[in-house]
Amino acid sequence: MTGSQPIIPLLQVENLCVFSRPQAKNQAPELLLEPLSFSLYPGERLTILGETGAGKSLLMQAIMGTLPKPLYHQGRIRIAGQDLDALPQTEREQLWGRRIALLPQEPWHALDPLMPSQEQVSEVYQCVKGRKPDSADHQATQDLLAVGLQGAEHKRPDQLSGGMAQRLAFCAATAAGASLILADEPTKGLDTSCREALVQLLCKKSTQGTLLTITHDVAVARQLGGRILVMKSGRLLDDGRIKQVLDDSACQYTRQLIEAEPARWPPYPLPNIQQATPILEAQELSKQRGNKRLFEHLSLQIRRGEILGLTGDSGCGKSTLGDILLGLLPADSGRVYRRGGFAPQRYLKLYQDPPASFAPQVKLAQLFDDLIRLHRLDAKRLPALLERLNLSTHLLQRHSHQVSGGELQRLALARVLLMEPVFLFADEPVSRLDPITARDVLQLLVEVATEYQCAVLLVSHDPALVHKICHTQRCLSLP
Amino acid sequence: MRQLKLKTSQKIGAGLLLLLLAFALLEALLHGTAPYLQRLDQAFALPSLQEPLGTDQFGRSMLARMGAALRLSLILSLICVLTSATLGILLGVVAGWWQGWADRLLSFILNMLLALPGLVLILLFAGLAPGSLLMLYLAISLVLWVEYFRVVRAITRTQIQSSAMQASHMLGFGRWYCFRRHIWPALVSPVFTLAAFGAANAILALAALGFVSVGVRPPTAELGLMMVELFPYYSDAPWVLAQPVLAVFLLVLSLNLLAGGKRS
Repeated sequence: MTGSQPIIPLLQVENLCVFSRPQAKNQAPELLLEPLSFSLYPGERLTILGETGAGKSLLMQAIMGTLPKPLYHQGRIRIAGQDLDALPQTEREQLWGRRIALLPQEPWHALDPLMPSQEQVSEVYQCVKGRKPDSADHQATQDLLAVGLQGAEHKRPDQLSGGMAQRLAFCAATAAGASLILADEPTKGLDTSCREALVQLLCKKSTQGTLLTITHDVAVARQLGGRILVMKSGRLLDDGRIKQVLDDSACQYTRQLIEAEPARWPPYPLPNIQQATPILEAQELSKQRGNKRLFEHLSLQIRRGEILGLTGDSGCGKSTLGDILLGLLPADSGRVYRRGGFAPQRYLKLYQDPPASFAPQVKLAQLFDDLIRLHRLDAKRLPALLERLNLSTHLLQRHSHQVSGGELQRLALARVLLMEPVFLFADEPVSRLDPITARDVLQLLVEVATEYQCAVLLVSHDPALVHKICHTQRCLSLP
Repeated sequence: MRQLKLKTSQKIGAGLLLLLLAFALLEALLHGTAPYLQRLDQAFALPSLQEPLGTDQFGRSMLARMGAALRLSLILSLICVLTSATLGILLGVVAGWWQGWADRLLSFILNMLLALPGLVLILLFAGLAPGSLLMLYLAISLVLWVEYFRVVRAITRTQIQSSAMQASHMLGFGRWYCFRRHIWPALVSPVFTLAAFGAANAILALAALGFVSVGVRPPTAELGLMMVELFPYYSDAPWVLAQPVLAVFLLVLSLNLLAGGKRS
């Protein structure tokens, strides 16, 4: 920021830290976010990269002034030179939309579920900017056109795809003319193609103001460019220009994060399966959902030990296909043949959301015991299996919600492996996990599948990931 | 019922209910007087050491009558709740799980029952056989099971679609296991709430029927019947009339307090 007259930063954060209020009187407050300082000038972009629990969202809530009650912050936050803590709450809220806009994580929760798209944006012009309904509607239509939402003006959020809903939320959030945009995991749950469109939109908007993005996705950070902060467990680990940090960082954690990107994975040495016997065959499958045709005349064959990657945009029927192959859903036409005469309990599934696949009310040990007793399995195999998956046996004494996502997904894998499966449908098994954990879990999955000669149908929205670890790839696209 | 964590208001409700229960039981054990024994010379005697709650218009011991009436209300509400909950849970799980024609048939019956106000239905049954406690029990249970059925059916439907249950099913577990591990744990908490409300409703229904003289017959000690019998004497002996009113109030309050609030 050179120039003869000093430019005031749009956002200035000075020694900001977040504490949790102690529960009891004699306890010390817990430090959740360690002191952090940065300034953002007009036209700058800052990306905060880190895994879940890194304190990224706390920072954003502190800037917005929406920290939950048991938490409080210290340090100074200035917006265009104005100290936010000096303002009363009502005046602070006046800044929302006008000076700071928050692009929420899940647009579905932020949009009115019953209101047509155009009205959601028009309402901002009318209520915040005080425009007449006619001119507000006109402006809203222009805005929607600018983000490629023409034709969706009169649709409700539930009729929009994830990417469209996020663009609509973007329009509504920025309509009041805020120059400082905070985006909290804006690409979560979006397909690769939607993700790129949204990132471009954010870049375009930020040329007029300032953009602060939180993400765990290195690819998004790379596309956004600008400055980057790498955080872990409430601590700032790395800080610098994006190119310099991502290409040549001295920080070990940053390097780990970058290497966890599927595109950077070393090619996995997959064994040859050309001679293996087929385990599952599908012929001429067709499926319709509502009026939408998902796939037609789809045939596939999967051999023992084969890893078959299935990609495609969300809603294209990837999970449906897997469920049909497992016999959980009927196909409209076509047939699925199971070869080799294996017991039905050896055709299994790994779920996207690890906690959802365990009964929450009992300890995990109980669930494993139930399974071992039902099939009279050898209980001694379990400790060895857990060790193979780098899991401690102590975890079994907990309930499913007391275990981290990565551990729980590996426990789900252990439960499946107890049955010595011959076919496993892994439905986006790592999409809810942090990149480093995701890579570890997925590598383990491929390794043990090879050991057990288990065929895996791996669904993912990331073609790069599938490319690295699968024998064969199929891409589903809507006809 | 492992994770039974009660809120303060629920604890107050439970305490109140236990006090009423203790009163009803201790009265049966320690107080020897029969609730129908008349001593006309003692009519509307003021509370004394002998008769801590006074006597009614026929000189009957109010302590004995209140004890008997509370026992009647509590026992009837308990068996009504047990019957209706068992029936409602059983049919709700069947309808939610099997769906198809069983679900359609049960939902049809349910809609027929829902079309009539509950109390009208109970009055109808009570009118068929006046004074029959069995008929009252049947009628109240018939009205109460509907709520269990609706809630249990809805919860069962969501549970059988859950990934957790799908996983158990694929791993080879049978229906009984799926019920025990996945459906029942999800049912316990709402069924407990419904049971507490259901018991309160049963007590109110019994009292209401007694009050309009289609319930149990005199000389049975019953809270609603006692209210209507004592009503003409409200200016002479308000403390006597107040007793069954207060008893119903406390019973319903304690059960509603117990029902309120979510358990974690």
